Amino acid sequence: MSTITNAGAPTRADGTISLTELREQQPRFQGFVGGHRACVGCGQALAARLVTEAAGPDVAVANATGCLEVFSTAWPDSAWRVPWLHSLFENAGAIASGMEAAYKARGVSAKVLAFAGDGGTFDIGFQSLSGMIERNHNVLYVCYDNEAYMNTGIQRSSSTPHAAATTTSPAGRERLGKRHMKKDILQIVAAHHMPYAATASVAYPSDLRKKVRRAMEIEGTTFLLVHSPCPLGWRHDGAKSVEVARLAVTTGLVPIIELERGSLTGSMPIREPRPVVDYLRAQGRFEHLFVDTPAAREELEHIQALANYNMERYQLRGSGHDARDTAGADTVRRGGVRWA
Amino acid sequence: MKQYPRGGIAEPGASLDYHTGSWRLQRPVHVHQAAPCHHACPAGEDAQAYLALVEQGRMQAAWESLVTANPLPAITGRVCPHPCESACNRGQYDEAVSIHGIERFLGDEAIRQGWAYPVAPPPADAPVVAVVGAGPAGLSCAWHLLRAGLRVDVFEAESEPGGICATAIPGYRLPPDTVALECGRLMALDGIEFRPGQRLGRDIQLHELRQQYAAVFLGVGAQQARPWSIDGVTPGDLHDGLALLQEWKRVGQIPVPERVAVVGGGNTAVDLCRVFKRAGAKRVMLVTHSGMPGPGVPDPMRALPRELAQAQEEGVEVLTHRGVRRLVLRGEKAVGIETVHMKKLPDAEGRLRRVAFEGTESLLHVDMIVPATGQDVDGRGFEELLKGSAALAIAADGAIGTPGVYAGGDVTGNAGTVTAAVGQGRRAAAAIVRSLQREAGIDWTDAAPVAFAALNTEYYEPMRRHHGAVLPPAEREGELEVEQGFDPAAAQAEAGRCLSCGNCMACDNCYTLCPDTAVLKTRDLAEDGSHYVFDYEYCKGCGLCANECPTGYIQMVVEP
Repeated sequence: MSTITNAGAPTRADGTISLTELREQQPRFQGFVGGHRACVGCGQALAARLVTEAAGPDVAVANATGCLEVFSTAWPDSAWRVPWLHSLFENAGAIASGMEAAYKARGVSAKVLAFAGDGGTFDIGFQSLSGMIERNHNVLYVCYDNEAYMNTGIQRSSSTPHAAATTTSPAGRERLGKRHMKKDILQIVAAHHMPYAATASVAYPSDLRKKVRRAMEIEGTTFLLVHSPCPLGWRHDGAKSVEVARLAVTTGLVPIIELERGSLTGSMPIREPRPVVDYLRAQGRFEHLFVDTPAAREELEHIQALANYNMERYQLRGSGHDARDTAGADTVRRGGVRWA
Repeated sequence: MKQYPRGGIAEPGASLDYHTGSWRLQRPVHVHQAAPCHHACPAGEDAQAYLALVEQGRMQAAWESLVTANPLPAITGRVCPHPCESACNRGQYDEAVSIHGIERFLGDEAIRQGWAYPVAPPPADAPVVAVVGAGPAGLSCAWHLLRAGLRVDVFEAESEPGGICATAIPGYRLPPDTVALECGRLMALDGIEFRPGQRLGRDIQLHELRQQYAAVFLGVGAQQARPWSIDGVTPGDLHDGLALLQEWKRVGQIPVPERVAVVGGGNTAVDLCRVFKRAGAKRVMLVTHSGMPGPGVPDPMRALPRELAQAQEEGVEVLTHRGVRRLVLRGEKAVGIETVHMKKLPDAEGRLRRVAFEGTESLLHVDMIVPATGQDVDGRGFEELLKGSAALAIAADGAIGTPGVYAGGDVTGNAGTVTAAVGQGRRAAAAIVRSLQREAGIDWTDAAPVAFAALNTEYYEPMRRHHGAVLPPAEREGELEVEQGFDPAAAQAEAGRCLSCGNCMACDNCYTLCPDTAVLKTRDLAEDGSHYVFDYEYCKGCGLCANECPTGYIQMVVEP
């Protein structure tokens, strides 16, 4: 095993510590650790890691069925270091409600997190989510949005974006991928008149952390939609997960916004908007759009129009330098100084 | 195999028992590659390393890092054409980092605050090396010999060290105090003996030096005016450019013509033009075969672009792509020159040849014409080494083929800049140390530098380059220094613009973005100088960290 020096820590005789010891001395809380079975470059694993880091140890997780649940808990191993419970695909909201009620009954102060994918949120778990919000349980619900049922083999969900190819919305002669639009779950959730609903992306970890902490402070139901690339389903190199996620934001296709009581209260301005083809070309699920046919050209224009619509609707176009815009929010500094 | 009761329960974090590292086909590794600035520096300065320290406000440590390569930063920070900045990757992003400005700042701070050169006195019985010529090459050689634990006797024909920096570079560009202080501090180091007024061939003899010293380094420069004429004709009152600069520096006065043409495209020519302006010449013209430096110019002048720009601000007229066809003499005195437009064009074989264009001849009325077309080596005292050639041919390590004798600087005919001379002095010192069976500790990097494409620039922010104040042309009088340096805040902010190419800046990206928590952060520096270690027990080899590393410090290699 390789070793490193680490002054001030319990050391061996030669002044080194093992990686196992070092792992226990990391500067950020690790609620979700390695050894899980996610694919290489999994955006969802990264998102789960970032959310649990920011949420801290005083939480309990209710997890819907999905990739995250499957790859993090291959019996008898669990990647979780916080209380974690899985029941079914459709009931993360209900289970989280029950956990929160139980904690309340026992006088325990802990935040309940509900984790689900887009399938478990947009489609299957929607009614239990809606009920949970309506009852205003003290739960932060995090949807890891990888835009299809990846766990079962890349079937389309109501989160799959328009024109993306999946195994149940294949690209062919008749259709260029998914016919329908991506469901605007954030607005639907926010329409419950809930205190806080926001989007985030794994490409902007500081912004994501800030939103988790914000949501944790609020007594009541909060909702976070985290855009999480899936190298397998979106068909890009695992090394490019963050790059693809960043392009989704900088093209305007995934607006990074905050809604409070249904009203827009924050958005990440895009300093230099990129054309949507930069994002689409990076992924195999859109490769059928890059043929020289009238239909494909129309679809590309259509998707650009969707991005433009987002930019207009949420006033995403930046105006000059802003430390919290798409170019400023991920700026790195020597020594790891980050704004969140 | 652990035994668990039936049912879906597991211990927290138990997945760490499952080592996903076995999935890996490629692995991330830390690779400290040279930054382009480091690669481009003729003196071998690792600017990335000292900029990182300046950014952290560790000014003295930065200077100490800088002088491990170049002991004369206050001088080179002012006069070097800074190829580091031409190579700087940031130049492809917005504007290159002002490396020369920070180098100068560190040199000036060291003098102002009296920072001690980081070197221990050599043992009394250490071998002694003779360095002939206390110019940039000789000073650099002496310094690096001292760092390697040798003693050095430095012989100088003039009374002060500094070579051309002390005798010819005008004070408005390189103040005499700066030269005297920086070189003086170096010569005062324990282990270096400075012997002024000792000219090779007059006061000291090469064969004696070779007998008395463990090795000899020749850095005597090139101070002899190159013969110049137009078709064999010269004016009777011909002055040589370098001699005029030396006169200006020594006496503070030179003959001032009403109108003067200076022929040449190097720094000597530009310096001379600006000196003529300061001395009161009405009209100063620079006549050069070459073009204005700029992007896409195949034959730019050798002079520093910023010096040229300042010369033009001061009223110097620059006539580019121009040759002198004929001298117009009245008696022995020049009253004009006939110039002609010319350009280097490829001939039938594709070789570049200078072509004069008929019909573009024009007459310039001048009272004086001064060639500043370069200097030759004055071979007095080492004629047997020159063997009739114009300069000393050296190998890459400064050896000239005569045992125990090394050379560097303008005497080799290919230094060209103060910084290159510093580099040659350093290489020769390394060779001398090695020839004495000692550890040189002077390393050079010749590996390819980090390409701009290897960086992930998403993680940087555009930021304007800082500039020190520049005296407005109307206030540039006499020897007042034209360019002012950085204050500490500006230096630190400018160093913060460094992209840290090829070296870890501890930004936490790899640690933050690993989906498998396989990058661990260390409290102190890890073995390789970064702040992170890869936990290969869990790393699946996705390459995300390498893709998102801003500096190109993480590279993926095939799993062994």
